[in-house]
Amino acid sequence: MRLLALFCAGLATFAMALGYAGQSLWAGAGICGAIGLLWLAGHWRGWDWAADPCLAGWVGMAAFGAWHKVGAGWMLGGLVAALAAWDLAHFAERLRGAGLVLQRAELTRTHLRQLASILGAGLLLGSIALGVRIDLTFGWALLIGALAIVGVSGLIRYGGGR
Amino acid sequence: MQRWSLLSILVGGLVLLGLGTVRGEILALALPLLVYAGVALLKQPQAPQLSATRAFSAERVESGTPVIVHLSIVNMGARPATVLLEDLIPQRLALLEGQARMLTVLAPGASVELTYTVAGGRGVHQFPGVQASAEDMFGLFRVSALLPAAGQIFIVPQVIRLRRAEIRPRRTHVYAGQIPARQGGPGIEFYGLREYQPGDPTRWINARATARNPQTLFVNEYEQERVADVGLILDARRQSDVRTRDGALFEYSIQAAAALADTFLHRGNRVGLLMYGRSLDWTLPGYGKVQRERILRALARAETGDLPVLEKLDYLPTRLFPARSQIVLISPLLSHDLEMLASLRARGYQVLVISPDPISFEQRGLAAQAETATAMRIARLERALLLQRCRRNGITVLDWPIDVPFQQVAEAALSRPPIGLIGREGGL
Repeated sequence: MRLLALFCAGLATFAMALGYAGQSLWAGAGICGAIGLLWLAGHWRGWDWAADPCLAGWVGMAAFGAWHKVGAGWMLGGLVAALAAWDLAHFAERLRGAGLVLQRAELTRTHLRQLASILGAGLLLGSIALGVRIDLTFGWALLIGALAIVGVSGLIRYGGGR
Repeated sequence: MQRWSLLSILVGGLVLLGLGTVRGEILALALPLLVYAGVALLKQPQAPQLSATRAFSAERVESGTPVIVHLSIVNMGARPATVLLEDLIPQRLALLEGQARMLTVLAPGASVELTYTVAGGRGVHQFPGVQASAEDMFGLFRVSALLPAAGQIFIVPQVIRLRRAEIRPRRTHVYAGQIPARQGGPGIEFYGLREYQPGDPTRWINARATARNPQTLFVNEYEQERVADVGLILDARRQSDVRTRDGALFEYSIQAAAALADTFLHRGNRVGLLMYGRSLDWTLPGYGKVQRERILRALARAETGDLPVLEKLDYLPTRLFPARSQIVLISPLLSHDLEMLASLRARGYQVLVISPDPISFEQRGLAAQAETATAMRIARLERALLLQRCRRNGITVLDWPIDVPFQQVAEAALSRPPIGLIGREGGL
């Protein structure tokens, strides 16, 4: 499972670095590589905490790349791979910390199936969204922004309560 | 940071950044994260409806003996449950074999067994229950419930039976036992001579004494052996205890108390136990195996305490012990204990003090330095003086260097004194 997470992390690093390299933004490619190296170090040293900053870093780099008109497809693909790596790393940690795991193969199979379908749906929606153009007025943008702030703070509170 | 919080912040950040920079690509990047979070939110876990039953290979064991714990968990709900089960093991028990945690998928009505082995020190170890946690498919939300599966293991101190532990209290009971009763009659040890009385066995006739006095027949008289009352006093005052990284000196006192109680009860005596320190914990005197179990259970629960009123032995409730009976005090001894011990002796009790050596115990954990050596020397001199004063007051003191097994020290010191010394008051 950890190897699969490492593979996904490699894929995320490769996709984003390639996107930046395509636009000759070598610093961006280097940062993506550094995040990948941090993941690799976490894999070797058993740093379970490394997955969270790596995901945040990849998402940040994807957003930065999209802002600088680096290939959005590479960024989207890299982000989906990063999400998969983050999820699988946590799943591996969960299995490791559980002590005895009954039906390990079935649990893993079910998780991978569900993850693949959800990430596939996310990738599909993201790809469709990249091709859609909606013009928003300043008022709508402000409203959506306010809703996003309220929604995110509510979600954080909700998640903390659960 | 919690995974859910991280995901929420990333989604919110992307949305705000997309709106702020007016870049739809950034908003599109938020979609996979939104789908991931949304599905997790929609498929939140429900509280697992499980029931658990617990069984032990033994509920009462001696210290250090492994106990196998069997746990059976059944899914009582109508839906399959993916649950992480964790049996909450009491802190002072160590897991020897197996796993107390398990991740499994339980179909409705299905059951699962969890088996592991634990061991630990003396005490009552209560198992609070099983923690059952259900998570959503991505582990973002967790619902936990404590399944009631109460149970307890009683771990009593390890008992080492002594082959010899001779005591000579001034008062004995009428029942036959193994304690010399200071009275002539049937027995083993020679006690004296008296005139023949009808009914005396002819093999008791002392030929030599009779030959010297041809007019009278003399018979040997033997010392009767009977059972006696023994009051064990366990010093549980915190100030007399010594704690180091290796443990507590009090555990050695417990070990000695268990060994003595078992030995005296095995010989038919009536034994009571008073724990003095945290409170006055009195186990009523009794005979036999039931009393042995009572005392061992009391010792299993024993803890030191620092009740101010019990700082000195002055409030020792002597009325609990029958007059002129045997008192055994198990204590490292403090300098002000001598007065009370002398007072007990003056009231006619036979007093035996088992004193685990606190100095050698503490020295084991100290670095070998000149200052330490000097301090130890002074402490040893003070202790030797205290023990000598006790002996001068007619108190029998067994100084136990804890590096030597108690059995070895006790059997050497508590063997029957030579016949010539038996009649003396100061003897055991």
